[in-house]
Amino acid sequence: MPPKPHRVLLDRVSGYADEAAAFVRRRRISRRPFARLYYREGRSSDHAGDSVAGAELFVAAGRLIEVAGKRPKA
Amino acid sequence: MADVAATEVVPAGPATAALAFLTEMSPDLRGAAILDPAGVVLAASGEPDRWREDAAALLAAADQAGEERVEQVHIATEQGEVFALRHEGLVALAVTERFALASLMLFDMRSVLRDLASTRRRDESVQMGDEIDPSTPGGGG
Repeated sequence: MPPKPHRVLLDRVSGYADEAAAFVRRRRISRRPFARLYYREGRSSDHAGDSVAGAELFVAAGRLIEVAGKRPKA
Repeated sequence: MADVAATEVVPAGPATAALAFLTEMSPDLRGAAILDPAGVVLAASGEPDRWREDAAALLAAADQAGEERVEQVHIATEQGEVFALRHEGLVALAVTERFALASLMLFDMRSVLRDLASTRRRDESVQMGDEIDPSTPGGGG
């Protein structure tokens, strides 16, 4: 006996939601810190944390994060 | 204290309104600042002096990292994310939670700076118009 049509639809939607949740979870786990600079012509450059420029950028960013503080609770 | 600092905004006219708009538009925002071309803080959440110093340090490091002047900066760390954007001499800085949507954040910052730049241009032209004496022939336009 074939499944009811609304069941097929629900299964499909929950399948997509599971895929999206897994993608976001993987992204959160696997994403490493980065420093990316963008220039006028659309060029961009990445700087690793162990390079001189990258280290300076991360230190400066850390100070700004400290200045901004925590997000106020809603 | 950090919560208080994050909600306090330094008054500076249109820049304050722009910062308030940015804060309202971006739920992930922790703090932000807007600086003029001379590096003076026009509006900031928290301590303007610290924003000025640390913004100058970030932009100097970013400019030194390449051969040309940087237009956008996006740094993601474990503690949060930092965005900086230059537009018509103005600079917007924003610190957000991790995994904030970078494209949306930069779009909002650019939009705010564009509006602020046009307001400043209009104000400057009005001031220049005021300096011309309307009683002199041709002075009133």
